[in-house]
Amino acid sequence: MKAFLYGVALQWKLDLRNKGILITYYLVPLFFFLFVSTIFTSINPTSKDTLIESMTIFAISMGAFLGTPIPLVELYSGDIKKAYQVGGVPLWTGVINNFISAFIHLLITSLIIYIIAPIGYDAKLPEYPFRYFLFLAFFIITCISVGTLLGLYVKSVTKLTMYSQILFQPSLMLSGIMFPTDMLPKALEYVGYAFPATWGLKIFTSPNPKFLWFLPLIICFVTACIMGIYKLSRITKE
Amino acid sequence: MSTAVEVSKLVKKYGNNTVIPGLTFSVKQGEIFALLGANGAGKTTTLECIEGIRTYNGGDIRVNGRLGVQLQSSSLIENITAMEAYKLFCLWNKAKVDKEILQSFGIMEFRNKQYRMLSTGQKRRLHLAIALINDPDIVILDEPTAGLDVEGRVSLHNEIRKIRDSGKTILMASHDMAEVESLCDRIAILKEGKLAFLGSADELTGQHFGESRITIHARNPFPQVKLVYSKADELEKNHFTVTTTELADALYELLTLLKEMDNEVLDIKIERASLEERFIEIAKEGA
Repeated sequence: MKAFLYGVALQWKLDLRNKGILITYYLVPLFFFLFVSTIFTSINPTSKDTLIESMTIFAISMGAFLGTPIPLVELYSGDIKKAYQVGGVPLWTGVINNFISAFIHLLITSLIIYIIAPIGYDAKLPEYPFRYFLFLAFFIITCISVGTLLGLYVKSVTKLTMYSQILFQPSLMLSGIMFPTDMLPKALEYVGYAFPATWGLKIFTSPNPKFLWFLPLIICFVTACIMGIYKLSRITKE
Repeated sequence: MSTAVEVSKLVKKYGNNTVIPGLTFSVKQGEIFALLGANGAGKTTTLECIEGIRTYNGGDIRVNGRLGVQLQSSSLIENITAMEAYKLFCLWNKAKVDKEILQSFGIMEFRNKQYRMLSTGQKRRLHLAIALINDPDIVILDEPTAGLDVEGRVSLHNEIRKIRDSGKTILMASHDMAEVESLCDRIAILKEGKLAFLGSADELTGQHFGESRITIHARNPFPQVKLVYSKADELEKNHFTVTTTELADALYELLTLLKEMDNEVLDIKIERASLEERFIEIAKEGA
């Protein structure tokens, strides 16, 4: 247990030393939040109602899809894996440590948005904070599980950038973060349903979210877990 | 002396390609044993099978004791410090941070430096220290001094000797003949996954196994040597080199000949084939 906890704390520290991670977890999402919030709230004052939710979903999608996989690709596709194997460090710790560390980082980013948005942009706070944070935790976990899957399956950082963008860009454009999805052509609106961000925004912004809206996220999380465990067992045996 | 590692009829295939077709050797406890071979001879594959990080298709491997492993191409997370890495491995092995080892390997000097900032020598020393964390009985070193400068090699050789002196068995793969000759008790030369030689460095370079060169420099010319050794190389009229597998007989004959001619010997030099020459020879001969 001591080794595991040390590993989690160490991973969190290592993330803070990693420029790539800092950029995707904090720098770009928060800069985007400040920049876009300034524009959105002056063009369309009603955007204040969903500013916290949309910017949080953007930050989480970016961090989870672009940042979370980086340490995993470095760990599992290189010689570090062998060093862990012969050195008695279980390979699963890489995934779990990174998962926990990413969760804490993304929660901090979400909290920064939650605190700054009402002060800086007069954004409306979620009506039910407890429920909001419960949904937030669930959404972060789902997105990190997808990011983890990327980290386990992609074997180089160059390829990772491509695959991460394939997930992230549509999440940004088709989920309703930037503009309402009913403004999109029908085909693209349907494509948008394939991304967690679309369902996340629906759940966050609705006063009475339906269970059916959670289902895609649950399926996404369970599928990512199954595929991740399978891949990890393959990596261990390789 | 009991056996530390026993490899018996080891078979390893990559797809349809059999890289080790049935390798057998054993490593005695307390010795430094080297696996030599050209690139692709199967050294690293054999070691990785012993380490348990690679599966094999046939045969048997028995390891009598705890293993500590330093890999050929080992790496760590690039922004982890030396101390953090060492502590992480210690905790997972339920071992205490051994400051004595850290001091003796010089790790304390760079303990707060991130892995990517370490020199090749510092990285090797760190990985060696990590390999010793669980107080292993057998230490496997894959190309331990590859990429090191002379100072780094000498320093690491001293550490390896210290490890051996502490009673541990060392199994290593190397390309460096001088390293193998100075460190190892026994050598196995692999060629295409087969054992081409097994024995000590002396046996490998010794007269019973290989050729020796006798170079004689006499006061006066002695062309008669050509009558006895037709293949003798004439460096000068009074300076010849004779290559032979029968060193004692050849030396006796040459000295007798010179004595009969009343020719004074100015200099005589006997050279055994170097380990490198023998290695190349064996690599050409095949298993």
